[in-house]
Amino acid sequence: MIVLLPWIPLAGALLLLLIPANHERALKNFALAATAVPCALTLALCALFKPSLAGFQFVVTHAWLPSLGIHYRLGLDGINLTLCLLHALVSLASVFTACWAKERLKEYLFYFLLLTGALYGVFTSLDLFFLYLFCEMTLIPVFPMIGVWGSKNKEYGAMKMALFITAGAMLALFGILFFYREAGLNSFDLITLAEGLHARGGLAPETQRLIAPLIILGFGVMAALWPLHSWAPIGCSVSPTTLNMMHAGVMEKVGPYLILRVAVAFMPEGVTAAGPWLSVLAGIGILYAGFAAIRQKDLLFMTGFASVSHAGYLMLGLAAMTTLSLSGAVLLMFAHGLMAACAFAGIGFLYERTHIRTLNDFGGLAKQLPFLSICLIMTFMAAIGLPGFANFVSELLVFIGSWNRFPAVVVMAVIGVLVSSIYFLRAIKEVCFGQPNPRWAALKDAAGFVERFPFILLLAALLVFGIWPNGLLRLIEPAVGGLLSFPEARTALSAAPFERKAALPFPEARTALSAAPFERKAALR
Amino acid sequence: MNLLLLTPEWVVLGVLALLTFFELFQFKDEAFYKKVRNLLQLGGLLAAFAALLCIEPKAGTAFGGTYISDPFAAFFKFIFLLAAGAVIQMSREFFDQRLERSHEFFLVLWVVLAGFFLLVSANDFLVLFLALETVTLGFYILNAYLKNDPVVIEAGMKYFILGSLASAVLIFGISLIYAAAGSTLFPDVRASFVNDPQNPLLVTGALMVLAGLFFKAGVFPFQLWIPDVYEGAPTPAAAFLSVASKAAGFAAILRVLYTVFLPLEDKRALLFGTLALLTLLYGALGALRQTQIKRLFGYSSISHAGYLLIGVAAGREVGVAAILFYLSAYALTTLTIFLVIAIAGRELGSDRIDAYRGLGRRSPFLAGIFFLALLSSAGVPPLAGFTGKFLVLLAAVRQGLTPLALVGSLAVAISLYYYLAIVRVMYFAPPSREEPITLCPASKGMLLALAAALVAAGFFQGPLLGAAEHAAQYLF
Repeated sequence: MIVLLPWIPLAGALLLLLIPANHERALKNFALAATAVPCALTLALCALFKPSLAGFQFVVTHAWLPSLGIHYRLGLDGINLTLCLLHALVSLASVFTACWAKERLKEYLFYFLLLTGALYGVFTSLDLFFLYLFCEMTLIPVFPMIGVWGSKNKEYGAMKMALFITAGAMLALFGILFFYREAGLNSFDLITLAEGLHARGGLAPETQRLIAPLIILGFGVMAALWPLHSWAPIGCSVSPTTLNMMHAGVMEKVGPYLILRVAVAFMPEGVTAAGPWLSVLAGIGILYAGFAAIRQKDLLFMTGFASVSHAGYLMLGLAAMTTLSLSGAVLLMFAHGLMAACAFAGIGFLYERTHIRTLNDFGGLAKQLPFLSICLIMTFMAAIGLPGFANFVSELLVFIGSWNRFPAVVVMAVIGVLVSSIYFLRAIKEVCFGQPNPRWAALKDAAGFVERFPFILLLAALLVFGIWPNGLLRLIEPAVGGLLSFPEARTALSAAPFERKAALPFPEARTALSAAPFERKAALR
Repeated sequence: MNLLLLTPEWVVLGVLALLTFFELFQFKDEAFYKKVRNLLQLGGLLAAFAALLCIEPKAGTAFGGTYISDPFAAFFKFIFLLAAGAVIQMSREFFDQRLERSHEFFLVLWVVLAGFFLLVSANDFLVLFLALETVTLGFYILNAYLKNDPVVIEAGMKYFILGSLASAVLIFGISLIYAAAGSTLFPDVRASFVNDPQNPLLVTGALMVLAGLFFKAGVFPFQLWIPDVYEGAPTPAAAFLSVASKAAGFAAILRVLYTVFLPLEDKRALLFGTLALLTLLYGALGALRQTQIKRLFGYSSISHAGYLLIGVAAGREVGVAAILFYLSAYALTTLTIFLVIAIAGRELGSDRIDAYRGLGRRSPFLAGIFFLALLSSAGVPPLAGFTGKFLVLLAAVRQGLTPLALVGSLAVAISLYYYLAIVRVMYFAPPSREEPITLCPASKGMLLALAAALVAAGFFQGPLLGAAEHAAQYLF
């Protein structure tokens, strides 16, 4: 079943080419089916997944290039299952918005399915070669999608995005090859590597300190880590709606995911050593992007900078290397992905109808477009971290989990939350309330299933897991614990003096949070 | 003497003889002649392919040990056949409306093909030289075939002068080797070299032979001719030069390095690592500011030579297998690119990159295939070029050449810039004319097959890598 996840959309993309371009209905239905089936499969996998079992589940292995130790191995643990679920939901919502595109629909859907398949590939593969292959493969659909359907300044934005991501990915590839050699197991397979290195007590600390920065910086570009983020806001501003949803929703999560899978899992000592500067970069990123977002007049730029700012929370969670902060980071990937996709869907909806996305050209939409306004308000509230949405729980986990190691950065991050409330609340005020702009008197609200479904789906998921974060945390926490139980990690962390003090409050905090998240939130309200 | 080992060569020579024979008749009906010619060439390619398949598993020598047939040579012959097939189709696209007569072009093409076949099977320095000269002479004609165009003549002259110089260096190196070893047979020379690794004549001779081969392969500092010649030469000739000449150059370099010049082994990583670095950066940086598409691919082919040299520097079976895979991927990619350039050059009337404006709108098929091939050339997965780069970099890291691998990795990002610049023109800019471009079925089929092979070799690397690993073993 798990093998089908990437291959249904990829095969669907090829089959889609056989449908004549003027059969729009058939094209849309076909693309919808090719996205909905893997989504249903992901839900089924979530239902079948047993949180009590350690390690990967549904593991499938095909020998691929045995002479190099490359296997096509797939499997899920709580971390990539969560991300698969995120991708399933966002891609399902996105395919509806893809159907809004009027021009050259067939090619658009083709690229969309290619992107969807590649991202499923990233989240299901357990072999470094395939992780890299699927990760870089996303570049193929992204470039023409921006080129043909993007908006102004697209040449610059697309080129910058492609070059930044590729340079980062190549650096990470070099790190992966280096890791392969140092591990000396003639294998790219994560399970074999984990077992082999486990038996040996992990990589030598010096090696870890050498490779971890390569991986972190390389994939950090994809994660929009400050100061390598500058492609992200411009990329957001030029992309078409669907790509923005997939991009901010899912693709920006690939970078942190791969850092987690490769650097945190195999080079804990290296990540611990890199932690201080990584957390500082994250902190600066949160504030810098937050203040930059305040200055933006363009809604897409503002949301783009907001994404960079939120990526800082993720990196902070990764840098702190505690079960709590890492679980929070994974949950934040999920929550932020849904939130960002929903925000871009809303802004895209407005932009495609008005061709305007500057803040002060709108106004009073709440009366005229009640459904869309409610969705935008809820999304932005979630982004600020209002209790009730999954973002709140995950950010809280990251802050608590990182407090003992990087209190100063956590303070910066909390200030970042305040900053984010400034620009998001202002955006709500300018767009939804205030004087109605007579230019948009004829503007119609999202109506009908096709236009409303993406918002309902994404917001419902945000609310469900905001109220019941344990639904995901019970999957994520054991997996994160598994990563950290790596022998080297334990010694590295317990050797660090600040961790010994920190070790105590964690169990209580964790049980308190995961057992009764709702009460806790209620108390905070 | 086992003359059957040369069956593929006999087939090629037979086709050549038949083509010449048909030329005698001076058919009134040009269309009929072309049909016969095309069928003959297609049949010849298929027959040579079949002959290669039969010969491939056997290893043996002929003509008193001066000719060797082994899977390593056969691997390259498959690449040459693929290149010849694509180049013939390209020539039809390129010449059919440009020239009334293009018969000699095809004749010379088959001469060059025979030369390439012999070159990778050479087991003697004189045979190596003769084969190389056959190839080079043929290219003198092919490169200057459009003899009324001054740019073409300039390209032809440049190739002629520099090519002669390289041949002179090569033959002088061979004469030094003969002076020291008393023989030109590879095994004999190897024996004397191993006995006396410090012999200055042999060392100088070996370096001069390598320099002559570097010219063919486009290695720094013997790469200066490439951009000019690619720009001026007819597109099919440039494609053949770019794919087959580079493959043959590397085949000969690997052959002499591993079967003859064994004492150079401990200097190999340093020598080829340095050359790789310089070649790679020259190609990648030189390509950044090009406006002519064929010139751009001249620089791009230099940077590909840099990656291949990384493979040579890494060495051993891993490195050689990586080179063989890389060359096959490079052949598929470059042939696709040049086939598109041949068609687009005719339709757009120019080889400037600007002329590709809006190609994505005028012919989504052609632009789509071109996009795929460009990404493969840059090394974006899951395309053939990616696997080639991955294998080469992996081999380098495995052999401890980490700085080289780091530069190789980052150069991918540089090269992506100039490839994407073409994509940007194709997809982002509006077309200058709107009418759609129609393709002939043969070209369409060939482009589809090449594109499918690009994806297949990028995703299902197993069979090709297996063949490369198998062929590489025979060198050791």
